[in-house]
Amino acid sequence: MTSTPTSSAPNAADPQRDGTAEPILDVRGLRKIYGSGDGAVEAIRDLTFTIAPGELTCIVGPSGAGKTTLLKCIAGLLDVTDGEIRLEGDLVTGPPKGMAIVFQEYGRSLFPWMTVWQNVELPLKEKKVPAAERKRLVTEALEAVGLADVHGAHPWQLSGGMQQRVAIARAVAYEPHILIMDEPFAAVDAQTRAELEDLVRELWHRLGVTVLFVTHDIEESVYLGQRVLVLSNRPTVIMEDVRIDLPDERDQLSTRSTKRFAELRAHVYELIQQAKGGRRPETTARTDEAGRRDEAV
Amino acid sequence: MTSATVESRRPAPGGTAGPRRGRPVPAGVLGALGLLTLVAVLELVPRLGLVDDRFLPPFSSMVSALVDEAGTPTFWTALGQTLRGWAIGLAVALVAGVVLGIVIGSLPVVRAATSSTIEFLRPIPSVALIPLAVLLWGNDMKSTLILVVYATFWQVLLQVLYGVRDVDPVARETARSYRFSPLTTVRTVTWPTALPYVMTGFRLGAAVALILEITGELVIGTPGLGKEIGVAQSSGAVPQMYALVIVTGLIGVVVNLVARWGERRVLRWHPSIRAEVG
Amino acid sequence: MSIVRRAVLALGLPVVLVAAWWFATEGSQSFFWPPLRDILGTFAETWWPDRIMGDVVPSLLRLLVGFAIAFVLGVGLGVAIGKSRALRAYLEPVLEFFRAIPPPVLVPILILFFGIFNTMKVVVIVTGCIWPILLNTVEGVRSLDEVLIDTSKIYRLSRRARLWYNILPGASPQIFAGARQALSVGIILMVISEMFAASNGIGFTIIQFQRTFAIPQMFSGIIVLGLLGVALALVFRLVETRILRWYLGLRAAQRGE
Repeated sequence: MTSTPTSSAPNAADPQRDGTAEPILDVRGLRKIYGSGDGAVEAIRDLTFTIAPGELTCIVGPSGAGKTTLLKCIAGLLDVTDGEIRLEGDLVTGPPKGMAIVFQEYGRSLFPWMTVWQNVELPLKEKKVPAAERKRLVTEALEAVGLADVHGAHPWQLSGGMQQRVAIARAVAYEPHILIMDEPFAAVDAQTRAELEDLVRELWHRLGVTVLFVTHDIEESVYLGQRVLVLSNRPTVIMEDVRIDLPDERDQLSTRSTKRFAELRAHVYELIQQAKGGRRPETTARTDEAGRRDEAV
Repeated sequence: MTSATVESRRPAPGGTAGPRRGRPVPAGVLGALGLLTLVAVLELVPRLGLVDDRFLPPFSSMVSALVDEAGTPTFWTALGQTLRGWAIGLAVALVAGVVLGIVIGSLPVVRAATSSTIEFLRPIPSVALIPLAVLLWGNDMKSTLILVVYATFWQVLLQVLYGVRDVDPVARETARSYRFSPLTTVRTVTWPTALPYVMTGFRLGAAVALILEITGELVIGTPGLGKEIGVAQSSGAVPQMYALVIVTGLIGVVVNLVARWGERRVLRWHPSIRAEVG
Repeated sequence: MSIVRRAVLALGLPVVLVAAWWFATEGSQSFFWPPLRDILGTFAETWWPDRIMGDVVPSLLRLLVGFAIAFVLGVGLGVAIGKSRALRAYLEPVLEFFRAIPPPVLVPILILFFGIFNTMKVVVIVTGCIWPILLNTVEGVRSLDEVLIDTSKIYRLSRRARLWYNILPGASPQIFAGARQALSVGIILMVISEMFAASNGIGFTIIQFQRTFAIPQMFSGIIVLGLLGVALALVFRLVETRILRWYLGLRAAQRGE
């Protein structure tokens, strides 16, 4: 590995993270231990980070880094052992309002007994959205993901990529303030994956929604995010908060072939390798200083 | 299907949102508590006069009736007769079901020709045969045996048919291309695939056979525990009747456990852990 | 396969079997095996219309009422038990025991409580039918897909919505498997409770024929019972394929992959 140029900006240089904007998501001192007594497993040791409204943040880490655990804590599906999570200022104790999740297991996150339309509509019904408005939202969401013509089908009649589009449409129609995606494209083929990545960027631009995108794919994280949070291996802390200073207009072909993309990818790759090797930041501070990387080279 | 990789291990399904309080009580302890509760309810409800104790005697008198019963040779003879009828009926049904199932399942023409008949005969309730059996054999053991065999046979046959249908067509073609004899094909291709289904048929059949055995004894009056229950009822020996009912339940539990154990044992080497069909 | 071929295959064996019965008993002098001609000859006069209305219909009503009660109770309790790990552990051995009791032995017990009339028969059917439904529902609820449950939570579905849109449909394949077992148990109990003590019903009638040695009539009764079993199984399957269409489609899609 060669030494890569500095990619992570110091905290103060980033206007979105220096405290001028009220964070939409605020994770402080998060710790999660499964079980108790001898069988206890510490999944997450100490995670602190904030996400500003409208940001597209990727979280990447070696497999087994507790990414899914982190998401489940943020989603209020798991109780935390220590620390706190605030969404729009409110402490998360159960599934919060204004959050939608797209799971990796598209085949298991859509109700197979409902049609595509019903799947997208159900959360809106529960939100007591009036019928006419509901119809508009569902139609628009399905159009946005390119599935305007299959709403009468059942999910299992669709390909994997299309099923994941339905799940995205359901999340979009719900009009969440924060959209969480848990390795959503890990199980679809490469071609579909590229299309869906662009779809996420497009929807994010258009809707201005905050997106937290979890992946184990380094390229994907660099391509998609404005920021990449690199996690250590278990028990998890943050290795580095990498700022992705690629131009906002991204393209599968040209963006991925730029020099800067390659540098960032190499940098994140190296961090992941270090994380796999068991290296951890000396402190549990949320960001890394630029110098740290060089000593590992 | 997608192979979902869930990296977080969730210890207990109950441990989702909300703070967890204390350590969960082991399932075995809870189960034992459940049984104790049942015993307590059976003891207290008649004692407190909530239910007439001529209809539901306290649990303790059921137990003492059971102890008395266990001291009589009649009880043990009846138990032996029930188990014998069950075992013979189950064995006959198993052999017939497996042989016919493999023959019918392996020959597409036979399968097509028999499917409507099987579909029609299967839902005919076995108890419809009671009057005929009584007419032919009175309260001889055969009357009950025919019920047991009839009802159990369908359970086994259907599972075997599912099993044979599950045989990999490629394996079948391979067997044909190597000119295996039909017997060799059955032994090396059909049987190993169908075995888990046969064991399911055995497990389901064992339970059904017991139900029909005791039903036959009770209704027709062939010798066995069912008949003893009928005798206890007509002579007003209510605690004895309950005691015998408990015994039939316990036999049922043991039969289920043994069948499941046998199934696991036979299939230990088997790669497929399959969901039950039908 | 051509329609003709399929018809021959479907109807061939039944026709052969009936014909065999017909010719084997043709001119039979055996007291026990009257000619099929006689059995069919007495069929209409035996059953139509009095016994259909007076015996078959009451039997069926008791069966349907008992089955319906068992279904509602079994699914309701099954959902409650299936959702709670502690409750499941607490009740499992008790339920295993009750399930293992051969349902017909409950008849003498329930006669004590409810006498020999309709209530007893309906209760017998309920107590026999409930276990397969209950236990299968518990199993169905227990094995619900976790991702779907999380999805329901994330989108903040109300308890009611979760029950209707997630839990019940998700458990429905198992619920139906249990209900199918329950139906055949129910038919058995319907007949047996009537054989024990009744003044009407199919079971009662058939036993009367047997005791009075009205052999052709008895055979016709057995045929009626058989037809009833087949008809109920058919109706059940129609309902099942309608409600579980998504499941059959899903399974076919998975197999095709």
